[in-house]
Amino acid sequence: MGISIAFRRAFSDLRQHFATQIMTTMVVTLSILILAFFALLYFNLQHLVERFGSELGLVVFMDENTPEERIPELYQKLAGLAGVEKARYISSEEAFARLQTYLHDEKEVLEGVSPRLLPPSFEIQINRAVFQLDRIRELADRLIKWPEVSKVQYGQEWIDRFEVFSKLLRDVVAVSGILLLCTSAFVVANTIKLTVYARQEELKIMRLVGATNTFIQGPFLIQAVIQGLIGSCLAIAVVFVCFEYMKDLVAVSELLRGVEVFFLPWPFVSSVIGSSVVLCFSGTALAMRRFLRL
Amino acid sequence: MEPPIIRMEGVSKRFPPDNQAFSDVNLEIEKGEFVFLTGPSGSGKSTLLRLMFCAQRPSSGNIWIEGVDLSTLTNSQVPYLRRKIGVIFQDFKLLPNHTVFDNVVLSLEVIGLKREQADRRVKQVLAGVGLGEKTRRYPPQLSGGEQQRVAIARAVVNRPPIILADEPTGNLDRERTDEVMVLMEELNARGATIIFATHNDRLYSNTHRRVIKLSKGKLEF
Repeated sequence: MGISIAFRRAFSDLRQHFATQIMTTMVVTLSILILAFFALLYFNLQHLVERFGSELGLVVFMDENTPEERIPELYQKLAGLAGVEKARYISSEEAFARLQTYLHDEKEVLEGVSPRLLPPSFEIQINRAVFQLDRIRELADRLIKWPEVSKVQYGQEWIDRFEVFSKLLRDVVAVSGILLLCTSAFVVANTIKLTVYARQEELKIMRLVGATNTFIQGPFLIQAVIQGLIGSCLAIAVVFVCFEYMKDLVAVSELLRGVEVFFLPWPFVSSVIGSSVVLCFSGTALAMRRFLRL
Repeated sequence: MEPPIIRMEGVSKRFPPDNQAFSDVNLEIEKGEFVFLTGPSGSGKSTLLRLMFCAQRPSSGNIWIEGVDLSTLTNSQVPYLRRKIGVIFQDFKLLPNHTVFDNVVLSLEVIGLKREQADRRVKQVLAGVGLGEKTRRYPPQLSGGEQQRVAIARAVVNRPPIILADEPTGNLDRERTDEVMVLMEELNARGATIIFATHNDRLYSNTHRRVIKLSKGKLEF
């Protein structure tokens, strides 16, 4: 069968059963819309975790017996590590001065205390481009093994908690995504099934004049692909419009100052659209199988 | 001598549980023949025709169409056989929500004929059956005779060598019946082999055509 005939028949069917087709496309749109909103939330939380995580950085406390002349060498070593953006040495004296500033009116409690009480340290800022929670943990584990290092701090508890939440959200997005995509495929397949039921006589006549299964099935499959494509693109477009609106709100919000929001990554968008098309296509092919027996 | 275009050998058809439509049917139809298939209602005329275009399979025996043994055809090959056979029914089997033109062009779309060629041929065939002015009408807007002519046009538009007509005049008055008979004669004159199932003895009583009678599950010549 010529592809042009299949397309002509598909568009003719779309015109004839316009209301049903719109309804089916809307179901696809709504399913993908819910999935896309969840995903948007997940990806933005992920960004947030990464951003705050990298801002937290690492504090590497040195052993108090580390000789001062070794500091430049350690600094070089630290600054040269992969993923380290910047390293800053904080001497015992500077740490003491910071504590005094922090205590403000109650700094008297530090009277008679030697600045050497506080260990010297390095504050390490992580390169944002390569930041990953696992990498920061890996780096901390590596540093603690240095003989000059007594302790490494990196807001572990906060990161761990956020990570658990983020993973949970990712699982929710994945599971709901699969379910919602399957729902769309199921609805499209069943709409096609109902359409085919209603048009059984027509299919019989087609078979009578020598139509192959491909000829009969072709227009229905094209319709399913169109529904999957339009439905998912429409959903992504709605999410994009809402995102643009929210971005403006976040930009002027006092509470969320400094927080950057991101749209769904394009590989994710294209895989959602692709999955929607593939599922609608295969759902329809499966639904039509029994009608294609001679 | 050319082999018969349709050959049946020991063909039986039984419907479960124990309804024997006919048994041991042996039949040969030559190319270009016009054969009347008669018999009372329920004698199995339609079933016999249905076996010829593979709408049903025989319980036993073999059928050859243009030398091809139908028992060797797979389901995916059946559509290609059907393109060699034009089928006309008593109830027309037209698509009511498609125009006359679309009903007829379907047979050509199925074989993948180019749009311009298909358009030309459909207009030609519809003009030939006297419906040249009604191509944009829908079947419910036509009379019974006109609808049957659309069905004939659909059956012959792809120029099949065989035409199976299953009581095509069953729903028509005498005048419309005669019109259909004239069309069938014309198609036969152009070389088509026609098997015309009917129980209307007026159509074949004064004819020189071969008449085959199906009665009590057996063929009588």
